[in-house]
Amino acid sequence: MAYQRITLTVNDLTETVDVPQNMTLLQMLRQKLSLTGTKNGCSAGECGACTVLMNGEPVNSCMVLAAECEGATIVTVEGLAKNGKLSKVQEAVAKAGGVQCGFCTPGMMISATALLERNPNPSDDEIRQAIVGNLCRCTGYFRIVNGIKEAAKM
Amino acid sequence: MANAKSKEKPSSPIGASLQRNDVYEKVTGSAIYVDDLQFGNRLLYAHVLRSPHPHALIKSIDTSKAEKLPGVKVVVTGKDFPERMGLYLKDKTIFALDRVRFIGEPVAAVAAVSEEIAMKACDLIEVEYEILEAVFDAEYGASDKAPLIHPQLGEYYCPNYLFPKPGTNISNHFKIRRGNCEAAWKECAYIVERTFHIPHIQHVPIETHGAIALMDEKGKMTIWASSQSPFAQRNIIAQALHITQTDLRVIAPLVGGGFGSKAGVTMEAIPAALATKCKGWPVKLMLTREEEFFTNFVRQGLTTHVKVGCDKDGNILALKNVMYWDAGASTEYGANVVRAAGYSSSGPYDIPNIETDSICVYTNHPIGGAYRGFGMSELHTGIDQAIDELAEKAGFDKVTFLKKNAISEGDIIVTGMKMHANGIQECIDNVAKSIEFSKKEEPTSPDRVRGKGIAIMWKAPATSPNPGSSAWVELAEDGKVTVGLGGQELGQGTFTVMAQMAAAALGVKYEDVRIAGPIDTQYSPYEWQTVASRLTWSMGNAVRAAAADARRQILDVVAEAWKENPEDLDIVNGVVVSYKSEKETPLANLVIYGLPRENNGGWIGGPIVGRGSFMPQYITNLDLETGQGPRAVVHYTVGCEGLDIEIDKNTGKIHVVKAAASFDVGKAINPELVKGQIEGGFVQGLSSALFEEIRLRNGVMTNPSFVDYRIATAPDVNFPLDVPFVEVPQDDGPWGARGVGEHPMVPTIAALGNAIYNATGIRLDGPPYSAEKVYLAMYDAGLTK
Amino acid sequence: MINPHPGLPELEYVKPATLVEASQFLAEHNGTAKPFSGGTDCFVRLRDGVLKVDYLVDIKGLDGTKELSFDPKKGLTIGAAVPMNKVATNKDVIAHYPNLAMAANSVASYQLRNRATIIGNICNASPAGDTIGTCMVLDGVLNVHGTDGFRQIPLNSFFLGPGRTVLKPGDVVVSITLPVPPAGMVGVYKKLGRNTIGDLSIVGVAVLGYPNQKSPSGYTFRIALASVAPVPFEALKAEAVLSEKKITEETIAQAADIAMESVTPIDDVRGSARYRKLMVRNLTREAITEVWNQLSK
Repeated sequence: MAYQRITLTVNDLTETVDVPQNMTLLQMLRQKLSLTGTKNGCSAGECGACTVLMNGEPVNSCMVLAAECEGATIVTVEGLAKNGKLSKVQEAVAKAGGVQCGFCTPGMMISATALLERNPNPSDDEIRQAIVGNLCRCTGYFRIVNGIKEAAKM
Repeated sequence: MANAKSKEKPSSPIGASLQRNDVYEKVTGSAIYVDDLQFGNRLLYAHVLRSPHPHALIKSIDTSKAEKLPGVKVVVTGKDFPERMGLYLKDKTIFALDRVRFIGEPVAAVAAVSEEIAMKACDLIEVEYEILEAVFDAEYGASDKAPLIHPQLGEYYCPNYLFPKPGTNISNHFKIRRGNCEAAWKECAYIVERTFHIPHIQHVPIETHGAIALMDEKGKMTIWASSQSPFAQRNIIAQALHITQTDLRVIAPLVGGGFGSKAGVTMEAIPAALATKCKGWPVKLMLTREEEFFTNFVRQGLTTHVKVGCDKDGNILALKNVMYWDAGASTEYGANVVRAAGYSSSGPYDIPNIETDSICVYTNHPIGGAYRGFGMSELHTGIDQAIDELAEKAGFDKVTFLKKNAISEGDIIVTGMKMHANGIQECIDNVAKSIEFSKKEEPTSPDRVRGKGIAIMWKAPATSPNPGSSAWVELAEDGKVTVGLGGQELGQGTFTVMAQMAAAALGVKYEDVRIAGPIDTQYSPYEWQTVASRLTWSMGNAVRAAAADARRQILDVVAEAWKENPEDLDIVNGVVVSYKSEKETPLANLVIYGLPRENNGGWIGGPIVGRGSFMPQYITNLDLETGQGPRAVVHYTVGCEGLDIEIDKNTGKIHVVKAAASFDVGKAINPELVKGQIEGGFVQGLSSALFEEIRLRNGVMTNPSFVDYRIATAPDVNFPLDVPFVEVPQDDGPWGARGVGEHPMVPTIAALGNAIYNATGIRLDGPPYSAEKVYLAMYDAGLTK
Repeated sequence: MINPHPGLPELEYVKPATLVEASQFLAEHNGTAKPFSGGTDCFVRLRDGVLKVDYLVDIKGLDGTKELSFDPKKGLTIGAAVPMNKVATNKDVIAHYPNLAMAANSVASYQLRNRATIIGNICNASPAGDTIGTCMVLDGVLNVHGTDGFRQIPLNSFFLGPGRTVLKPGDVVVSITLPVPPAGMVGVYKKLGRNTIGDLSIVGVAVLGYPNQKSPSGYTFRIALASVAPVPFEALKAEAVLSEKKITEETIAQAADIAMESVTPIDDVRGSARYRKLMVRNLTREAITEVWNQLSK
């Protein structure tokens, strides 16, 4: 198995990691950097539980090779709260009741954060479209959408 | 601070929509699920070799090449673990023994230093099979033409409330014979007969199954698992591996969705088995999404023949159900689903003559286990739609017909038990009002047709006759409370609700209560399983009792110290107060060290530990031939759902305009959490109605991934859902509470089927009501071109 | 029975610095090396064991692959490394090729569209590829670099069958050029999936139309269909009807019927052949009507 040394920024920290060349970004975050907040739901780019920001855009980290990430800037769910203070999206979705089992939540937080960055005042339909790639089995999505809407107003 | 002088009491946590106590961890990604646990360099990875055939004899297995692969620590097969196990009927082994019975069945497993090596090792295991004729249909499987899948059925341990038929593929045949259907049909003015097919579906928890097992040198084992049933897993795996229960420890972190899939024992036994062969080395197995779809637990398929009739006044007189459950290769758990559907087979209707045959059939299909609803969704899909047609045939408005026939307090139900007070009438009224059921509304475009459908349901917790809960309550020097319990937080909010209950029963602030998690069978008190929508009721009773016990101990200590009567004392927001003398003392002062006696006379009290236990004492068995018995179940939760839909005439796509779901929860301990459950359950029900199906061809699941097993996504839920709940108290529930976890996904298919019928006059034979099915049915009926 | 890897199988990651290096490597390792950009198709196939390679060759750093530019004479050039979201939100695309933005936006999820590319969609050559039909009716031409240097391949002669193209060992598709559309062009992409959005297509219909005095009807229509034939399929006979006859509700319906008759869909897990044919008819009719309503304003 061939290895690659990459240097990248994860949650504002510079990391240098030796990764097997077939390792995905998801596996690298979880196994090499112990950032287990990002979840593995399918490893096939369908469920969105592994969503992280890569150079500012949400991607399914299970569909990115770690080796591709030389010089990249990654933000995971662990990077959203600052000094223990929840971000608007985290606080609002929590308050709205949009968290049950919590497994889809990290990916949702990232997708929602990116949405409000590019569209600060989204309609309900725009919110739903932005999270079509984040599967939730517990909430029925109502309170997640409401939470994101509230976060936009904060 | 409590105000003993003013005798003001703060608002109770009961009925308050308090913020979940696990939400910070979940939104920050710091919540720990089983795959997040860190085990260091000694962790071994497991991979499973699975059967490629639906039914075959195993002639030989050669593991020698696999064992030699560098990095491989352990290779095991069925012969190493021959013990039969199961929650109810013990028909399952950890690995296939002499034959395989479904595609995906574990045949061997490897533990190695990496997932890749474990997978390569499995590829090196050589298995010789002799193909056997397979069974892919339940009715065929129940006939005497079908080959036997479990020829030794008669030898399996079986509890006395299940009725297998050895020498057949029928592992449970539950009957109801109540009244006289034969005679009753003659009295019926209108009769409807229908057959419905409900396909297999899967739970699709976003977190797949996973477990790590570690056996120490003395033979004590620890299992970490994403589990709804740590204690059941302890019991069943201990028996299977010949470990005494006390030496098998199950630790269950937060669960990323269960829905019944993580109840009982499934894949957890595999790393446990491997671990027995590499003492000191932890072995981890996480299922891939594909394995999750078909190798572990699914929901049974059902073919149901329903016949129902009423008199000219619209009273339902008779109901006949013949249900063939495609239960898969093992029915250790599913046999009870079949029973539960049988003893609830009237639905929430008062019907004097009922004949039900609920037949659990082995097939060479994936294993049917416990799925949210436990047979109720499939049952109601049949009876609610047949009754919907009966109402129309008899010339009655649907809501009138439902209200006329809905079960009332005092009615003798299908098993002979008396029905308790329930809010079904109010639930129906709520839904009918919310979607304006009686108002015929025009479609929003000429390309669409519009219709409304309504369906009612009931469900009782389906368990063994003696499922117990227990709890303890402890306090620390800071006066804050820790509650020990054995039920699992799956997202339903049980940790939050239990904290609310403990706070209310003890007299402290909700914020000052912690739940002792993760659940750990070494320290947590026993809980049967986190299933059956039973925790709020059953574990709630235990937690309330434990908190009340702690409270009594505290008040006894203070009463003695103050020389007062405990009846004059109270605990308010963590402070013991006397309404008589107006003295107060915070809990922190006494819950560990007790209180000093006067004049250096010693001490009163000591560490406070409250205990509570609850097990229903009154569940009875049912007669083998008639299904009658004094008390089949603890209680029923009833409810109603309605949908207002439009169907696109060009594509067959269904658009929900608005929907409502109303359930009688007894008492909503946390109203917003209750609503969240109902919303989520409704959407899971809608998803099963519109999209979901395990597509089986010759035993192969042809759609084992999210690409082709579709579930509801956010844009599919673009309609308002009204969730007004009803509260008719449960006489033996904590503060009157009853469960509602499963119920919201039960009537949704029927309600949608009824809405489609209302819009088109077409009754489809079963879900999913895909656009294709709807369009082609409309096209063939001439309703669209 | 499916037996996917937990992650990806063993492989080596190669990032060539130049097109010459890339073509040479791919030619030398033909059959064991694959070029990729977003990886959203090939990673899934690698994991499932359907695709087996020793090397994944990242083309994202190569000259021309990041280009996204519009020239009023040449048209739109989209490099192989440009994610679909970038295409869908580009102001020149929205202004001049709104149907391409529509098609790109219909793919999967926002996350996947930050990695998936139009060139990747084309090279994967799935009959269900959502952007292929639109690129075909826009007369897209692929700019390919191979062991013999650059060459152009028009899209309508690129596909041989499901998953099969005319590409040779060593070929890297660098970009696609879509000529400036005819004046007054209106175009849409209509897609039917199982969910509301985000699914693979059961049927996909790309229609564009523009005023054309040389045409007896005064207009030319182009129609391309996804998921109903072994390759994305241009419905030439249906187009002919709209070219020859005066455009009315009846001619539109006739064109839709002919489109339906000209396709050969299969029964598969997503839909039956019968349903697909009827949906081709209905969606084509809907798409042509929408385009016609705008054209005839």
